[in-house]
Formats: sequence, C-alpha cells, structure tokens
Amino acid sequence: MANFLVSSVHDMKNSVSMLICGLDKVLTSVEAAELSTHAELVQMNHEAKRINNRLIQLLTLYKLGQKIYPFDPQSVCLDDFLRTTVAQYAQLLKFRQIHLEVRVDPGLYWYFDEDLISGVIGNALNNAMRHTHDHILISAEAHEGGLVLRVEDDGDGYPPELLQGDGNVMQSVDFHGGSTGLGLYFSAMVARMHRNQGVQGDLCLENGGSLQGACFVLHLP
Amino acid sequence: MHINPLDISSPATELNFSGKNVLIVDDYMEMRSILRDMLSSCGAEMKKIHMATNGNEAIAWLKKVPFDIVLCDLILGSGKNGQQVLEEAKYQSLVGPSCLWLMITAEKTMEAVTGTAEYQPDAYLLKPVTEASLRSRLAKIWTKKEAFAEIYKAMKQQDYSKAMFLCDQRLASDKAHTADLLRTKCDLLLVSGEYDRAKQVLEDILAVRDLPWAKAALAKILLKKNDLDAAKHLLEETTEANPAYLEAQDLLAHTLQVMGDLEEAGNVLERTVKLSPNSVTRQKNLGQVAMKLGKLEDAERAFRKSVSLGENSVLRTADAYLGLAKACSANKNAEQALKVLGQLNKNFAADEVRTKALAVEGLIHHQSGNTEKAKQIAEELGQSISNDSIHPDSDGALEIARLLLTTGDKEKAIQLLQSEIKNNPESATLLRDVAEIFDQAGMGEEGSRLIETSRQEAMLIMNRGVLLISKGQYEEAVSAMRDAYSAMPANIRVLLNLAYVIITYMQKKGPTPELVEEARHSLQAANELSPGEPRFVRLSAALNELTTLR
Repeated sequence: MANFLVSSVHDMKNSVSMLICGLDKVLTSVEAAELSTHAELVQMNHEAKRINNRLIQLLTLYKLGQKIYPFDPQSVCLDDFLRTTVAQYAQLLKFRQIHLEVRVDPGLYWYFDEDLISGVIGNALNNAMRHTHDHILISAEAHEGGLVLRVEDDGDGYPPELLQGDGNVMQSVDFHGGSTGLGLYFSAMVARMHRNQGVQGDLCLENGGSLQGACFVLHLP
Repeated sequence: MHINPLDISSPATELNFSGKNVLIVDDYMEMRSILRDMLSSCGAEMKKIHMATNGNEAIAWLKKVPFDIVLCDLILGSGKNGQQVLEEAKYQSLVGPSCLWLMITAEKTMEAVTGTAEYQPDAYLLKPVTEASLRSRLAKIWTKKEAFAEIYKAMKQQDYSKAMFLCDQRLASDKAHTADLLRTKCDLLLVSGEYDRAKQVLEDILAVRDLPWAKAALAKILLKKNDLDAAKHLLEETTEANPAYLEAQDLLAHTLQVMGDLEEAGNVLERTVKLSPNSVTRQKNLGQVAMKLGKLEDAERAFRKSVSLGENSVLRTADAYLGLAKACSANKNAEQALKVLGQLNKNFAADEVRTKALAVEGLIHHQSGNTEKAKQIAEELGQSISNDSIHPDSDGALEIARLLLTTGDKEKAIQLLQSEIKNNPESATLLRDVAEIFDQAGMGEEGSRLIETSRQEAMLIMNRGVLLISKGQYEEAVSAMRDAYSAMPANIRVLLNLAYVIITYMQKKGPTPELVEEARHSLQAANELSPGEPRFVRLSAALNELTTLR
C-alpha cells in the first residue's frame, strides 16, 4: 500500500508540475487587463502550487520516516533565499493587495537545508496570507548563536488551542481553520532535524509581535 | 544591524547570454518547449538553443558544439539517464569546468547530496521549474564559476600552491563563497600532502559547525596516517548523525575493509546500497566483500547489478564482470560464468584485463571439472610470464597465482606472489589476500612465513637509499635505489624514493639529461600505479624546478 501511495504521489507531482508550468506561461504572456479570467487563473495557479507543496511535504515526511531523506545543509545567503522563496507568491500578494515586508541583513549567511526551510517558510507565508488583514512581515536575524526566522501577520492570531502544550507543535497539531496540521507537523520535524554542536532547531507559535497578529518563529542552530 | 527591506517585485537578475550555446535534454516535447521559452525570456538567443530527446542525441550534440549551458532531465526514458550523459560528457572532456550543467529532477535524490564530486552537476533544479527559480540559479552558479575560474585553472595545471594562494586571497573578501572556498582549500591541502595544515583548518571549521564533509575529510587524514581506529570512530559518528552522507558510509566500509572486518564492511555497504542502489562502483565493492565472506548469492546479485548499471555508463569496470563470472562459477554455473567473460572481452580491450580474464577462465574450467583445459591455460599464462610477454596488474597476478596453485605449479605461483608482496609490502589488504590464497591451497603456515620474509626484505631495500642519502652518500643511494627498482619494479614507494634520491643527487651535483629522464620515468610509473600521490606532486615540482633552472 505504501508503495502505491508513494508512486501515486510522484505521479501527481509530475502532473501538478506540468499544470503549474502551463499556468505560469499563460499568466506571464498576457496583461491582467486583457484577460477577464486573470484573477481566477492567479488563484488556480496558487492552489496548484499549494498542492505541489503538500505533495512534497508528504514525500519528505515519508522519506524522513524511512530514513532516506537526503538532508543537505549548505551555507545560504538569507537575503537571496528569502527573495527567491517570496517571489513565488508575488503575484498573489499583489492580487490580494497584501503588503509583504522582508527584513534581513544582506550579509547574513546560515547553514540549513534550503529545500526544507523554503517549504517551511512557504507554508507559513501561505497561512499568514489566509489570516492577515493586509500586512505580513518576514524577518531573519542571528541571535545568541542561532538563526531566528519569523513570519508575522496583522490578523487575529493563532487560536488558543494551538498555543497550548508548552509550545509543542507536534502535540497541538489539530484542525486549525480547515488546516490538516500537516504543514505545522512538517515544519516542526524540519526544525528538529537541524542540529549543531548538540543544539536542536525548534518551532514556536506566538501571538503579538510587531504586527500584533500571529507569529511563526523558527529557531535554527 | 543593516536592514534590507526587500522589494519583492524588484527586477530579476540580469543574465548575459550573448553568444552562449545552450543544450536542452528532455524526453518530453512539452518540457523541452517550456524550458526553451523560459531560457529565451531569460535572454538566450533562440538560434543558439539546441535540443536533444535522449542521451545519445545529447552526446552527439555535445561532440559537435561547445556548450556553455546544459539543462538536462535526470530521467530520459530508455537508454542513458541524465547522470550517465553527464558522466560521459565529463569523461570524454566534451564539457569543461566552465560549462554550467543543471540537472532537472522531480525530487531531491540521495546522489544530489553526495554523488562523486567529479561527476556532479553544478546544481539540481527541482520541478516545477519556474522562470524565477531558473534565473536565480543560473545567476548564482555564474557568480560561483567566476569566483573559482582562476583557482580551477591553477588546479588543472597542478599548481596547488598558487591555487591555495588564490583561495586565501578570496577567503579574505568573498563572503558568499566562504564555505566552498574553505572546502576547496582543504582539498588542496590534502592533495599536496599537507595533512597537518589540513587537519588544523578542518578542526577550526568543526569547532563552529558540525559539517559531515569536514568530518569525512578529517577521517581521510587519519586513514593516511594509518590511525584506523580513530578514523573508524569518527566515521561511525558521522554516519550515525548523517545516514544520507554516502561518502562517509563508503569511507567507513573502506576503513573496515582495511582493518580486516569484512563482516561489518559488508553490513555498511548493504545499508548504503539500500539508500542509493544505482552506483556502479558501490555495487561492485559490495560484490567483492560478499564474495570474500562466502555469501555467493549476494555477491552474484551485487555484481550483476553493477554490470547492468554500467551498461550505459563510462564508469563500468571490468572487475564487476570478473566478479560476476567468479560468483557464477562458485554458484556452479560455469556456462553462465564463461558467457560473462565473453561479454567482458567484448567490452574491454586492455591487455591487463584480458590476462586477468584468462586466469579467471582457467579457474572456472577447474571448478567445473575440466582440469585439462584449466591446466592448459595455466601453462600458457605461466609461459607468458616467464618470457615477460604479459604484465598483469596486482589483481591479475593474484588470479594467475591462484590458478597456478590449483593446477599444481606451486613454484611459479610462489614466485609471483612474492613479487606482488615486494611491490606492495605495506598494503594490509594485499597481504591478507595473499595469505588467503595460500590458505586455500592448504599451505597456510608456509605461506605466512613466505609473506613475512618477503615483506621484511622489501621494507629493508625500499628505505636503504633514503638512509644513505641522509648520510650524504649520494652515489651509493642512487645505486641502491636502482637495485631496489629492478627487484621491485611496481613498488610505488621504491619508484618515488628512486626519483627522490636522483633529484637530491642532482640538486647537489647538477642535472644531466639521463638522470632527469630516469627520475621522470620513475615518477610517471608511480603516478600510473597510484595517481595523484602528494609525494608525486611535490617531486614533480622539484624536478621541474631543476630543469627550468638551466
């Protein structure tokens, strides 16, 4: 059964990849004003990318469980990294008139698995986009020998159930606003995989922060 | 702290494609056209973009056009896959270090993390490929290629001290490439044999961050210094924390093999093969260990896998075919074994390979009860060795000796084994192999004695020249090493020592064309036996200095 699931996920991923490429091509080839269905297409493209991200998360979790995930921390320039990650959402942000601010020191470098952390930040950004009024802040900074990545929004914040359990995301994963909890589970797993000199990464969810909404806080050693 | 608020709609990176040739390799027409459109909107000229639908077409294009950029899907339907295309292109020098190779995959593979560095693409691009991701990846690699251009050039000319100097120079200012520069610097220190300096750099790196490659490099130094226990310990720790770091797993298996712990080496290889089953070399190694452990079916399976993986690959080895033939024969399938040897002879033309195959053929006949034929081959090989018409490599000599012992020519077999020991008196693995051959022939005790005397004799002769030089007896040193060379012509230490004493002699008394030639010949022979030894690099440099002085 597991084999069928895995091979089906692979197959679906290929189809979704083609779908995304096709939609991207259409969207870049015409001006918004010239196409009456432009808004719908942007939304469809976003949903296709969400499906793709979910499938990647499922495959990754499967591989982590089988201990065959090729974990690959590299030295990454945070400025480049956040620019690239966020660029995938530029169209939708513009369309929804959400203001996204990214704060990062251009000389900041850190070791992490770029693909995994990109998935985590993308996931957090997706959540923030759903719950924000119109403002999201992503920031990265070195703090006490670790890296702190924050995704904050100006929405109503996380529901109290999610903030219980000593910030243990694994336990508090539940159905949050239609979410399956997969994203948070994935993020917490990824955070923990990052270790250095005996220190493990972790994920915290808080309310408040500089935008007085939800704060998704990732610590990497 | 400097804050850099990003404008996410900022204009994308400018890429300069002027005059650049691009190759797209993908078996899906739609993907090819999507990629072409993306490249074109990144700035590539349409008429400079070429497309191939499979591995063979790709190789044909690569032979025709010097490409600057290759976008290649990893999975290409039947025939060669993307990795094999890359291997062949690099192996045949169809692409140089300045060519930018992007491998496109559906997901991150194990090989993406720790494939053989020599045959790694510049990057893996995960599907779906978007214009933004393609653009930023191309830009990043181009900057890196620029940063390393001079360093690679110096490395290619084997001017390691210049390469090291350039690395240090860049390290002082280039923050973006610090990690890669440090890694290259360590590689350079390793190839130039500066183990203590390399160790220092690695320890400094590891004090700040646990990096598996740095631990593996440290283990390599420990191996060079023959500190096997420490190497094993470090590699076990590294593989425990990073099971996906295959290079460390392979190194651990190698260490265990050198230590003689075949059982555990086999376990590590089994584990690694499960993680990454498509390595021609690893499957062959597994087959060899399984064979030695007497796990004949496992051996046959691994060799068969290595042979079939190697079908489209330039990395295929004759040893996998030989191993498969031996495993089939041991599994009582002589017919199949001989068929494999037939395939081997079709695919490999080198004399050493043919010789080895013939010896194995003799053994197969012997095992299947055709002693007449086995004897005939043994006599043929024995003859050729006596009149110096064949020159088997180390493995080949062992195979021949094995055959000679089985067919009853004990004297010649012992001679052959003794000369192998003298050529490699410091290789624990070889000494063990020889001991095993003696054991199988029922002459264990006599064998051990023979091994020990040959080894001691060799060690004595090997170092005599260096000892004499240190006493200032230059002529005597050269003549002692010449004697050693004629007794042990394939002993790498003897070859290097001979070159060393001649060079030292010339540094004192001035060079002559004959001596320069003799030293060069000796160095080349050493480099053929074991390419890239640090001492070879150092001595070659010293020799060049001597000859350019005049």
